Amino acid sequence: MRQHHHAWRIAGLTIVGTAIALPLVLFVLGPNMPPGNSSEGASAQVRDNTVLLVVLTPFTVFILAYLAYAIAAFRLADGDATQDGPGIRGHMPSQIAWLAATTAAVLFLAAFGTVELYASNGAGGGSGSDPIARPSGKVFQVQVIGQQWEFTYRYPSYGGVETAELVLPVNQEIEFHVTSLDVTHSFWAYELGVKADANPGVDNLAFVTATKTGSFQIRCAELCGLWHGYMFDTGRVVDSATFATWIATQQQQFADIKKYLPPYAPTYSPDPPARAG
Amino acid sequence: MSSPAGSGSLYHVVEREPPEVMARNLRIAARLFASAMVFAFIAFLFAFFYLRALDASAVWQPATVKPSLALGSAAMLILVAAAIMIRLGLRDHRAERRPAWRIKGAIALALLILFIVVQFVSWTTQAFGPSDGPYASVFFGWTALLTLFVVGLTYWLETTLATSIRYRNQGAQAAIDPGHASGDAHRTAPDIDSPVALVRPAIEAVTTFSTAVAGVGIVTWIVLYLLPA
Amino acid sequence: MILRRLIGFNLLSAVVLGIVGFYVGWWLGNLDTSSNLAYFADTGQNDVALFTAYLTCILGFLTGLGFLKYPINRMLGKPASLREKETSGSSRYFGLCTDHKVVGLQYLIGIGVFVAIGGINAMLIRIELLNPTAETISANNYLTIVGLHGTLMMGMMTSGILGPFANYLVPIMIGARRMAFPRIEALTFWLLMLAGVLLMTTLSYGGFPTGWTGYAPLNIEANMGIDSYLVFFVLVGVSMCLLGLNMLATVITMRAPGLTWGKLPIFVWGVVATSVLMLLAAPVLFSTLIMVALDRTAQTSFFNTQLGGSSYLYENLFWIFGHPEVYILALPGMGIVLEIIVVFSRKPLWGYRLAVAGMLGIALMSWLVWQHHLFVSGINADLRPFYMLSTELVSLPTGFIFVCALGTLWRGRIRLEVPMLFALGWLFNFLIGGLSGVFLSDVPSDVTTHGSFFSMAHFHYTIMGGLLFSFFAAIYFWVPKMTGYAINQRWAKVHFWVMFIAFNSTFGPLLVIGFLGMPRRTVTYAGYLQGANTWVSISAFVLGASMLVFIANFVWSLVFARVPAGSNPWGSKSIEWQLPSPVPVENFAELPTLDGDPYPYGDANDATPVTSAQIGPPA
Repeated sequence: MRQHHHAWRIAGLTIVGTAIALPLVLFVLGPNMPPGNSSEGASAQVRDNTVLLVVLTPFTVFILAYLAYAIAAFRLADGDATQDGPGIRGHMPSQIAWLAATTAAVLFLAAFGTVELYASNGAGGGSGSDPIARPSGKVFQVQVIGQQWEFTYRYPSYGGVETAELVLPVNQEIEFHVTSLDVTHSFWAYELGVKADANPGVDNLAFVTATKTGSFQIRCAELCGLWHGYMFDTGRVVDSATFATWIATQQQQFADIKKYLPPYAPTYSPDPPARAG
Repeated sequence: MSSPAGSGSLYHVVEREPPEVMARNLRIAARLFASAMVFAFIAFLFAFFYLRALDASAVWQPATVKPSLALGSAAMLILVAAAIMIRLGLRDHRAERRPAWRIKGAIALALLILFIVVQFVSWTTQAFGPSDGPYASVFFGWTALLTLFVVGLTYWLETTLATSIRYRNQGAQAAIDPGHASGDAHRTAPDIDSPVALVRPAIEAVTTFSTAVAGVGIVTWIVLYLLPA
Repeated sequence: MILRRLIGFNLLSAVVLGIVGFYVGWWLGNLDTSSNLAYFADTGQNDVALFTAYLTCILGFLTGLGFLKYPINRMLGKPASLREKETSGSSRYFGLCTDHKVVGLQYLIGIGVFVAIGGINAMLIRIELLNPTAETISANNYLTIVGLHGTLMMGMMTSGILGPFANYLVPIMIGARRMAFPRIEALTFWLLMLAGVLLMTTLSYGGFPTGWTGYAPLNIEANMGIDSYLVFFVLVGVSMCLLGLNMLATVITMRAPGLTWGKLPIFVWGVVATSVLMLLAAPVLFSTLIMVALDRTAQTSFFNTQLGGSSYLYENLFWIFGHPEVYILALPGMGIVLEIIVVFSRKPLWGYRLAVAGMLGIALMSWLVWQHHLFVSGINADLRPFYMLSTELVSLPTGFIFVCALGTLWRGRIRLEVPMLFALGWLFNFLIGGLSGVFLSDVPSDVTTHGSFFSMAHFHYTIMGGLLFSFFAAIYFWVPKMTGYAINQRWAKVHFWVMFIAFNSTFGPLLVIGFLGMPRRTVTYAGYLQGANTWVSISAFVLGASMLVFIANFVWSLVFARVPAGSNPWGSKSIEWQLPSPVPVENFAELPTLDGDPYPYGDANDATPVTSAQIGPPA
């Protein structure tokens, strides 16, 4: 019975540690978590990351506090190194408590993640060609075409014009259609919180609503060969008026070569399928 | 023949190992290896159903790609017959009818070799090749893998049969030279006591494995030949 | 005289016959000049010839070592036998030897060499990443170096614990004299070594651009260098599968009388759980690589979208193997850490059944989570909540291991010897690795972190911070038993502290860098991350330096200093410590009965686990 003071001390350390860490996590780290708040999908991810941090903090503090306390308190000072410690082989209440707490945390996180995923229409991630959760109402479609080693972008509602620069209107629900012409790439628009793999013959959809104007990084996030490391770009989110001007310029520049390009389609392959050898 | 194990630089046979130990090893190894084989085919099974469901570019199994049901069924039946033959041979060996086991084992061996021949015929005489679409790809990959495992089974059966034939007049208590099979010149005594007694457990192990191979053969036949495109 | 000793079935003959076999196969493969292959032969890109060459090289190598003697003798009807070359002095380490203890030491050195090469590759990577835009190493070489680092580490460390330590210890711990199939055990070692050498030949064929995951269709588009990668993983897969089979057969059939499953040391349980995964996951990899080879040579359409295949098929098949694979890496370390904490707390394992359940639970669940690698790929997007749940649930059995470790520490008599330091380091690192895994398992969070350095830092925390720390814990703990010589403890502690601090200094910031937007496997990155990357690179160099400290200490202690370790320097009650160091060829004088508790600490009669008579040599 006299040994309970270890348990109280560890509990105390855990509670104090959590009391310090949780507010820091919730109010300082959480809101500043990547990828930031430049889009609704990114904000959903930040919320999700914050919840993850909050749930995981008590467990982390407990384990670290326990380890530190054990090493300090139970360390052999001097004396007979061959004398055994107590023959404790288990403690059912502790095991059950641990199992219950970890199970509850895990189930909660899985449920929250699912809700967050669907509420944000995929949180910016690639959701395949027929996602369950899609925005209702009007969407602004942009096709992202990956190839070795560049991204190009087509705007189907503007005559299928293809550009090398990604410009997006702010505060509109954007529907990315990501595909590839050769090997597997991945379209990662960091500040928008969008990542969708580009596979040949596949139309991978991702949704985002940008809430702030500005520029954002685009990087290829799937190893695609020799110059994968140079496959990056900078995109812009602009207001509607700027966008209208920009797209009109693009259509003008594009008009001459339009007749040489294939019509807009979800995926592109050589026609008919060629066979090697 | 027992002496304490020394510092490790000299080989001391402390006791000859009773054959029951290796017998247990063989029997469990057959089951474990059969499980590994099944997982190798699960990958091809996954590929088959995935590509069939996807039917990308609508070229899963063009009309010209039709495997010969006769050859496929023959191959499957040969495997099943070989497995049955081995099982009957085991029954003979357990009832001490060893010459009968040797005959059945030899027939099973011939059947397995016939399977390999039939597979080669199937590959070279079909109207399609591996480059004729996803179904053809799975067909050639799958049957090649099956043939590989049948080659392994053939080797295993052959070694069991060969030992049985070599010691056919001497029985399980045959005198074995030290250094046999391994060629270790430092051997002073055989390391397994009466190793010819391992023939029966070996037959049991081969029976288990050949049944598994036959099972895979039946699944092969159903998936590759019977399922509609 | 020397020449006569060199002729025979040994490593030299193996190398010679391997090289001869390679050129014979190359010549054979180039004989087919039909229209299908003429184009490839003309451009010097004849994959068929290269695969044929590798195959005959493997056959030549195995023939030279003497592996074909036994099958040929068996085909002639000679009955089974177990032992080869177990008494030939130090030359038995350089050929086919069926003594499981020799195989264990061969594995230790062999894996160590290749892991060191992988580590040098890591240093080159960090040199390149000092600068965000310039190319210190050309783009092609960089990708090959990245690929070699990952491939070598994954291929070698898969058997990193089981090869050296399970081989050496499992027969002893279960009271047997041998593994179930001694020659197959030796075969797994030599296949792994040959695999490593053949992988290095990729450098003469232009390297490979796919990284260790080898995604399609890039792996089909790549030039000949990727054939080395394919052959490497085929050999590793076969080696893994046979190793798992052998371990399982041994533990299932060769336990001493009285040793029930409920009394097995937790290390052996870890080996059992790992072996099941090895046995079943390796064949999936084998089949997948055959499909890749067929796509590259016979123009099949497994992974080529335009011909009816799918790049998604490769991703699915690879990760069906790949996820059990990473638990193959994690599980053995868990067993080792628990064993070490028991000895250095001098208490029995707390929650034995919970720990076993944890290991088996991890092994089972590892098959149900693989699509978490594919959350943003577009594959089966509607199944993502299921995989998010299943992946998060894996943290439950993993948590069991943690709670058992913590419970064993409770009121123990803790000694901070070097193996214990590494075990505690494991706990800290794997905690961070596991927590970062929870983030990655959460789909919205994974959208940003997938394919970034956060993901890379996560698996380095679990595989390097976990597995490699447990690898070193095992080395410091058991090498005195395996060789009979002690390792200098002061330099061992230097190694630990420098490694632990440098490791966290390297990979901690990488968790942040990944979240800040840096993708994996790139030669360039955003300028604002240069400071952080420089910090990481310098920490990595310090980490590399700690390895040099280890190597120097290891070689000095075992080759030059040779201080005898005694049979039980740590005061453990486990059976291997009741035997002399190094353990004699036959392990025991008499086969023991093992019906006692595996962890008889804290009991009044202070019993050792062995209850029958003398198991070591007479005093």
